[in-house]
Formats: sequence, C-alpha cells, structure tokens
Amino acid sequence: MSRALDATLRAAVHDLADGVRPAPDLAAGALGRGRRLRRRRRVTAAGAALLAVVAVTLPFVLLRPGPAAPPATPTPTPTATPSPTMLAAPGANWTAKPLVLPGDWVVTRAQAAGGSGNGFLLDRKRGRYLTTDRYDGIYPAPTGSLVAVTDEARPRDVGLIDLSSGKTRWYEVGRALAGLQWSPDGRRLLFTTRQLDHFGFIVLKTDGTKRTFLVDQGRWFCTDICNFTWSRDGREVLLPQTGGTGHNEAVRDPRAGVRFFSPDDGRQLRLVPIPGDPAGPWAWSPDGKFVVVQGQQEPLLVETGTGKVVNPLPAADVAWVSADRLLYRRPNGSRDFVLADPTGRELVRQPLPKQLVDLELTVAPR
Amino acid sequence: MAEVTDGEFTAFVNERGPALLRVAYALAGNQHAAEDLLQNALAKAYARWPRIRGDAEPYVKRILYHDQISGWRRRSRRLEVPVAELPERAAVGDSGDDSDLRLLLRAALRSLPPRQRAVLTLRYLEDLSVEQTAALLGCRAGTVASQSAKALARLRKLVPGLDELTSRAEVTR
Repeated sequence: MSRALDATLRAAVHDLADGVRPAPDLAAGALGRGRRLRRRRRVTAAGAALLAVVAVTLPFVLLRPGPAAPPATPTPTPTATPSPTMLAAPGANWTAKPLVLPGDWVVTRAQAAGGSGNGFLLDRKRGRYLTTDRYDGIYPAPTGSLVAVTDEARPRDVGLIDLSSGKTRWYEVGRALAGLQWSPDGRRLLFTTRQLDHFGFIVLKTDGTKRTFLVDQGRWFCTDICNFTWSRDGREVLLPQTGGTGHNEAVRDPRAGVRFFSPDDGRQLRLVPIPGDPAGPWAWSPDGKFVVVQGQQEPLLVETGTGKVVNPLPAADVAWVSADRLLYRRPNGSRDFVLADPTGRELVRQPLPKQLVDLELTVAPR
Repeated sequence: MAEVTDGEFTAFVNERGPALLRVAYALAGNQHAAEDLLQNALAKAYARWPRIRGDAEPYVKRILYHDQISGWRRRSRRLEVPVAELPERAAVGDSGDDSDLRLLLRAALRSLPPRQRAVLTLRYLEDLSVEQTAALLGCRAGTVASQSAKALARLRKLVPGLDELTSRAEVTR
C-alpha cells in the first residue's frame, strides 16, 4: 500500500470516528445498565447465600448449592382440558429439587440474558440446583452431567464441567464463536464460527475432538441471522437460507428454506423450503413432520415436507415434548410456562418461581 | 464499597468515555449502535469492576471488538451496518479534492462488513500493528492482512477516485 493511500485511509477512519456526537449521559446510562446486571446477580445469588458454608465443602470450586430442601409437595399432574389448568407456583425452596414443567420436562439452567454469569444450574445426580456467579455462558447438556461454560476472558475456549465429578476441562474451539448448542443426545457441541474470512460450523465432541467445516456463503446465501442448529435426531445440522433479494435491516430477510449439512463431514445434504428459523432440535416434532420457526413476522408452525404454514404460534422457542404437545414460555407473561397443542391453545400453565422470572431459561427432558 | 465502585467507574467513564465512544462509532458506523455497543461493554465492566478496575480500558475495548464481530452477545446482530445508499462513485480525475474523497471514503467505510471495519479501526484509529490487531481479534496476522486487502479492494470499487488521487499524490510528492 502506498504511503499516500495509507494516509488517506487513516484520515478517513479518523473522519468516520470524528462523526460521533457526545453522549452526555454515558456514565449514567452505563451505570444503570451495569446495576441491572448486578441486581440480577443479587436476585439469583440470594438463595445461595443461605448455604454458603455448605458450599465450600462440596467438590465444586466454582459452583455453589442452592438453599436447603423444602418439605415435599406433590406436583400436580398436568391434564389437557379446554381451558388452561393453572398449576401452583413452586414454593420458596424450589431449588432443592428439579423444577418439573408440564410435559415432564425440567428447567436445567437459568441465567441473566446477555450472560452476566449468574444463575441456577440443575445437578441431575443430586436432584437440586447449584448457583454460579463465575461464567458468562452456562449450557447444560440436555442429558447427563456435563455443562458447557464460556468466559469472555477466553473467547476461543469452551469449558466442560462434569457435575458428577466436579472436574472442568477447557478446550480451544476456535475464533469468533456463536450459537453454542448441544446435540439432543448431549454428546456433541455445535458452534457457528464467523472468523474474519471464514464462515461455517464446528462440532466438538465431549472428549475434546473437534472438526471445523467451512460453508461457502456465496453459494449458500444467508444475509441475516445465520446460526447453525441441530436437527431433532442430532444427525444433521442446518442453516437458514435467504433468497439473496436484498437485505433490509428493518425486517428479517425472507427465508428460502433451511439447508441441511452433515455434522460428520460437512457435506451439504438438501434444502427444505421452510420459511423461518428453527430455534433448535426441540423445535422439530418427534416424527419430523412439523417444525416451529420464527417467520419473517411471527412464530409459525410449518409442515416440513411442503414448507406450508399450518398456523401462527405465540412463541418460536418451543420444545415439542410429545407428538401433539408444545412447551414454551408464555410471551408477554414470561412468569409462566405453558403446555399447548399445536394450534397454540393453552392446556396447562405453570408459574415460575419469582427468582426465575427475569432470567433466561433452558429446559430439557426430565 | 458500592459508592467507591460507582465513583471510580463514573470517573473512568467520564475520562475515557469520549475516546471509547469514538472507537465504538468507528466500529458500529452510527450513533445509536455505537452508544448501545459501548454501554453494553461498560455495563459488563461495571459488573466486573473489582476484578478489572486497574485494567478497565483494554477490557472495555476487547468487549467492544468481540461484541461487534463475534456474535456472542446477541444472535440478532446483523452482518453489515446499513447505509441508506451506496456512496456515489467519484468520477476519475473529477476534482482531485481530498475532502471530497474523504467524504466518499467515510461513507464507503460504513458499508464495509464489521470484521473489515474492525481491522481498519484497529490499524488506523488505534494505530496497532498487524500483530497487535491479530492478537486483539484472536486471529492470525495473515488474516488481518487479507481482511485489510479485501477492505481496500471494496473501497477501491466503491471509490474509484481513490487510486487516482493517491497516485497523483505519490507523483507530486
């Protein structure tokens, strides 16, 4: 590069930066946002404080157990009725046993959205929740005792904590990682990688072996939210595809479908004309005939064979817990989880403990 | 203790905020996104203040760059900063005016993908070497060089007058 070009570029970048206007309330705004992060931590840590002494006796250096066991209370049996059955809110000592949701799924993790590092984590072996204030991301496997954790201080790595032994192993995965997602069998982790000049996915096995597969975005176009997710059976991974008809920041780009890839060798397998993005493996019906996606405007139930929209739904982040039952967090009322039929008709409603209301939750089969 | 933290943090933001906002603006390309990007990074710094207080500025910058390019922060972060229109192409030998060229370049910079703009920001705004840029972005030096080359190629395409002017400047030096 010539010196003149170098100087011109330097001047242009400085010009660009100089275009910024002062933000007089920057400190106040950042303080407010930072305090909200801290408040979430305090809420989630409050229960754990009771047993802080017990915590140090456990083999987990970084995880602390939740409050003491509550008196046993029978969990109401969810039944499908024309109007939603309201279940009782869990008691104050809910952390002492798995929080079972309608459909027999459980809450496995609760953490402040945005990854402030605080939250609750289900220890399946001991049947209770632990709290943690160390990690920026906590991702329990849908089955078993492994928990993937991330730390912004080491953005290339992922840690795997085995809750049964308390051991943590860190693995270097790669650069510019996003969209960490467990396979449904809890044996592999999927990452989307957006390295500076590479785009693709990484599959990390729990023994630390990994494979990276680059995907040609010029050939398989994705101009919008482009994270890889697992299929319901964990045998394929998929990427939303856009039509390449232009990109508008104001709306989601129309989807041409989802393209399937092999997680074993990265081969492109097929394109299915689904007009939206599945949130993950549980968004697919067990028989694979339907999928819930985030469409351009709203969540949709879609027939996978034809791509035909069956009906809109209240939420896109759903778990298809049986052939005809969906479990999701109620939008505009995130205090409740609901079990609904595929039309979105609510059948059972389960309020959450108040400590979880403002947190992001992960659920998994019991 | 909280008052001490708040006081230290506020003093830090008051002192370094404007400089950090310039960096955020160069990365994000517009005022609203820059403030959002910076406030998010500062909030994370506040939440970790006892651990990073002596090293806050590098921490905030690291969060800024990684949030902007990595996608960890939010799935909805889009790939490119929107520009209302592509910058008009400069006619070759049009005016030879530096300010016109820089105006066009500034608009063209906004249209670069975040990764390419991040590389140029680190190299030209923060005056980091290729190696330092690579270390901060967590990539190889060769990748920084290739991203710089791609960015330059795109800028040349958008602003053809770039080469004309710089060639003239070289000749008349």
